[in-house]
Amino acid sequence: MKMSLMLSKLFKQIVFYSLFLFLWEALALSGLWPQYILPAPSKVFFALIAGFANHTFLIGIGVSFKRLLIGFGIAIISGSALGVLLLKFKALDETLGSLVLGFQTLPSICWFPLALLWFGLSEWAIIFVIIVGSLSSITIATNSAFKNISPIYLNVGKNMGAHGVTLLRKIIIPAAIPSLLVGLRQSWSFAWRSLMAGELLFNCLGLGYLLNMGRELNDMSQVIAVIFIIMLISVFIDRMILGKVELAIRRRYGL
Amino acid sequence: MPLLDIDIKSKSYNVEHKQLTVINKINFKIEKGEFICITGPSGCGKTTFLNIIAGLDTFYNGRVLYKDKPICGYDSNRLLIFQELGLFPWLTVQENIEFGLKLRKMPKNERKSLSLEYLNMVNLTKFKNSFMHELSGGMKQRVALARALVMNPEVLLMDEPFSSLDAQTRDILHIELQRIWSVTKKTIIFITHNVREAVCLGDRVLVFSALPASLKASFCIDLPRPRQIESDGVIDKVKLVMAELNSEIRKRYENEFNVKQTF
Repeated sequence: MKMSLMLSKLFKQIVFYSLFLFLWEALALSGLWPQYILPAPSKVFFALIAGFANHTFLIGIGVSFKRLLIGFGIAIISGSALGVLLLKFKALDETLGSLVLGFQTLPSICWFPLALLWFGLSEWAIIFVIIVGSLSSITIATNSAFKNISPIYLNVGKNMGAHGVTLLRKIIIPAAIPSLLVGLRQSWSFAWRSLMAGELLFNCLGLGYLLNMGRELNDMSQVIAVIFIIMLISVFIDRMILGKVELAIRRRYGL
Repeated sequence: MPLLDIDIKSKSYNVEHKQLTVINKINFKIEKGEFICITGPSGCGKTTFLNIIAGLDTFYNGRVLYKDKPICGYDSNRLLIFQELGLFPWLTVQENIEFGLKLRKMPKNERKSLSLEYLNMVNLTKFKNSFMHELSGGMKQRVALARALVMNPEVLLMDEPFSSLDAQTRDILHIELQRIWSVTKKTIIFITHNVREAVCLGDRVLVFSALPASLKASFCIDLPRPRQIESDGVIDKVKLVMAELNSEIRKRYENEFNVKQTF
């Protein structure tokens, strides 16, 4: 039963995408719009092949991911540290905490003019935007994950003789893991979006830059090819990796 | 020397800037190996009392001596099984049971064999690799019991452990708990609303009064074990205890709803 449901879903998707590609190809061939406005899907496909063949796409992916790893890594470490500090010191939570909440609502692209003046047209301007784009989300997630641990686990642990670092390692962190993962997934998407926005701004090799280059060369097939790659990466990381881990953890915890 | 020498003069909380006295004079002794059941109207401070014995709550007037020394905090020799149990959902049944042993840094193979022994005692060997959400209510109770017993505490404090279970599961656990108690010879303080449960399990049944709690009455239950909850001996004793308890329940009812009720 389950297998046949999956097959029927797959069948519908195949029909949908073939129809979609067919219509698109037909519209492109109709000559209603010039190539640089609406390229045929076959052209996009060749652009994809060409981009990978001459390594520009691979380099773009590599460069973007390097920035992401550095920026998101810094954001995770400092954001979770800040989240814990806000939990420990109430005065800090009442003051700095409100500022963090404010930052959370700010679209990360707003930081670009500031980043460019501070760091110039450099790697660090983009990394800075990734950091500020995801940091507040990580801070808030960490803070609430630890704040909402059920006190019963702490009491049980203390009663059995756990305290200090042992209590943190064996009870507080495992108890917070499901909420921490939800936060991680959300802040990943903030970081990823900030990166893409940032890379549009100047010549910097990443995926966003490849989009921009396509525009400057009037090469719409490349633009669409890169959009396709970006979408694929987003889906892969969000659904395939983070989503799967989150689901597995939630199952285990019985949530 | 009694194992626990309890003399609580008073205990109060601050509720909305008002002092709410929850305990007013509770004073009795518990010998090693006794099974004490405490019952009373709901909301009468039984849980507060248990928290004091566990060492979770140290702000009160009076003194509680454990082996002649005042209680001043948690001690894994007095383990509290919380009403909500607090089983760790990130660990399997066996890992939950081994948790305390790990804290005591017991070597792995020793830990494994000991936890298997207790898994067997509570009849959960088949479920040792299950996670908490895969267990029924009664199984969870038994995991919590094994997790506490494996630590070999001197005193086991149980806070209405069976109140959320269906009657059939409860009957089974009554038999199991009596069997385990007769094997392990632990001192148990067991809190329950259910007078029949209290009489069925306890060597002594203590009745707490309505708020603020004080020790209203104490009954020795000298029926042979194992006892069945529906046996005549149990039912006769239940009537005696209920007579004491009913007047307290009425008092609480009148306080809470501000009406006179005739039962």
